[in-house]
Amino acid sequence: MALKRLSREKREARIAYMIIIPFFIYIAFWNLIPLVQGIFYGFTNFNALSPPTWVGLNNFRRFFDPVNQYITLLWRQIWMGVLALSINTVLSFFIGLALNAKMKGRGFFRVSVYIPAVAAVSVTTAVFVSLLDPINGGLNRFLISVGQNPIAWSHSQFWMVFWVIVFFVWRNVGMAAIIWLGGLQGIDPALHEAAQIDGASKFQRLRYVTLPGLRFVAGYIILTGIIAVMQMFDVVMFISAGNPFGQTDVLMYRIYRYGAVHFNLGMAGTSSTILGALTLVFAVIYLRFNFKREENEHA
Amino acid sequence: MRKTGRIISKMAWYIVMLFVAFIMLYPLIFSLLAGLNTRQEFGHMGALFPVPSVPQFQNLLFMFSMRGLRPLLNTFLRTGWYTVIVCMMAVLIGYVMARYKFKGKNFFLISILAVQVIPGVLTLIPGFIFMSQLPFVGGNNWRGYGGSGLINNPLSIFLPLGWGFLIWVFLFMQTMKSMPKDFEEAAQLDGCGFWRMIFQVIIPMNKPIIAVIAVNVALGVWNDWLIPFLYVTDMQHSTLPAYLGMLTSQLQQFGENDYPRIFAMSTVATIPPLIIFLFLQRHIIEGIASAGVKG
Repeated sequence: MALKRLSREKREARIAYMIIIPFFIYIAFWNLIPLVQGIFYGFTNFNALSPPTWVGLNNFRRFFDPVNQYITLLWRQIWMGVLALSINTVLSFFIGLALNAKMKGRGFFRVSVYIPAVAAVSVTTAVFVSLLDPINGGLNRFLISVGQNPIAWSHSQFWMVFWVIVFFVWRNVGMAAIIWLGGLQGIDPALHEAAQIDGASKFQRLRYVTLPGLRFVAGYIILTGIIAVMQMFDVVMFISAGNPFGQTDVLMYRIYRYGAVHFNLGMAGTSSTILGALTLVFAVIYLRFNFKREENEHA
Repeated sequence: MRKTGRIISKMAWYIVMLFVAFIMLYPLIFSLLAGLNTRQEFGHMGALFPVPSVPQFQNLLFMFSMRGLRPLLNTFLRTGWYTVIVCMMAVLIGYVMARYKFKGKNFFLISILAVQVIPGVLTLIPGFIFMSQLPFVGGNNWRGYGGSGLINNPLSIFLPLGWGFLIWVFLFMQTMKSMPKDFEEAAQLDGCGFWRMIFQVIIPMNKPIIAVIAVNVALGVWNDWLIPFLYVTDMQHSTLPAYLGMLTSQLQQFGENDYPRIFAMSTVATIPPLIIFLFLQRHIIEGIASAGVKG
């Protein structure tokens, strides 16, 4: 009996390795090698035509020299990202709350908030570009027809940032709202009833029953959000292309241009490494902060 | 008094939600309408709702000419291919991780979760260079120089497998763990082998979660414009969203733009995922919601 069991375990282990290891090797081939290579390129000068030459920390020194604007672009990536993410998180929370109300037709509204995420970014940004056309765009024609002055959208940093964020929120708010909704529906209704019997007001119930129950969901939304906004460049590329005069350019967009257009792969590697490391640092800080708060509340 | 208050708050809910739904649907309505215009008419109209005087279908029909059909077909092939591969991977690895005992399971589990937080910026550009420097393909020498590698090769949008997909392995494993083992044990007593177990017991019994995985992967791959956009420059070998990405990024550069053609293509590019979504929205929404709760 014992002998047979042992052989069964051995057989299981063999099957498991035969299933898992080929997939892992294949995935490592396409992901792990580029990851290591990218960090390595950060310490070299490399244009993909001839082999890279080692330059040590030179690229990093260039990155931190304010003359080269990398810091400016990094900072803009961060503040635009924080702005987009916080608006998205708050707005999606209220939409999730509204979708949780027991009303007729909420299925339709649930579907409609998610629909922007069904179409590709490259597809829906064209609508924004067309509407923002300074002369023949729908928005300026509309402004004129209600007696306002038309606005040269693409000549103003404020308006370009505004529309980039509007697009980001428009596309992502539905997905976040549905994650919130999943969290809201996971809260035990008995808790709400108990609070109601104890005389808690609607607002108190939101503060002391609903919000604590959503901690993990909030963590998930914010964590994936941080990782997403720190790499956001497609919206910027399509809607503003960094205009006016590079005033809405972000670091990730420059990395993309260096990597795919200008082949300045050394600086692309350096900037990627710094941006990636910073994203991880933000994620870890956020996680630590979240867990610490939890420990305090349990103590 | 309370009753009128309730009616008012109900009315407010509907008004706000209708407004939100309108904003959400507006760009899609816009692109549907705009695609039915002629270039001249659209160029001078500048309306928030570009209703054509006479609906024109030539831009939609362009999609079904030889030049338009190839990218559409590529998108279908690519989506189908990745959906099948990722579902197979999720089922196979998820099953053995949930049920089998073996050394190193924790290592595999931790690496599946750890790679989920690695920012894509670290692999995007190096992945592109890696593609272009694969030795012995596309005119490259053994060190990977001299040619263009797999860049612009039709295969390049089918071969890479991003490690983000491993999250679905985790989801399948978690679901398997919460399922009773009775059927599997009965099948095992009857002498059922590994592959028969997978195809005749595990897959039929876990159809709902496989549907969740398939639908979410399919939507993600369909809408992934960036990888084909980077890896393929000849749009005949690329996908429709990547083609549109190229056209949209050029909108910033030139004065005269053929908006109606772009919007007609957008409409065609959006219809398949929209249909998938409308029919299977329960699975998608479940997948997103459980990602938040379980992750």
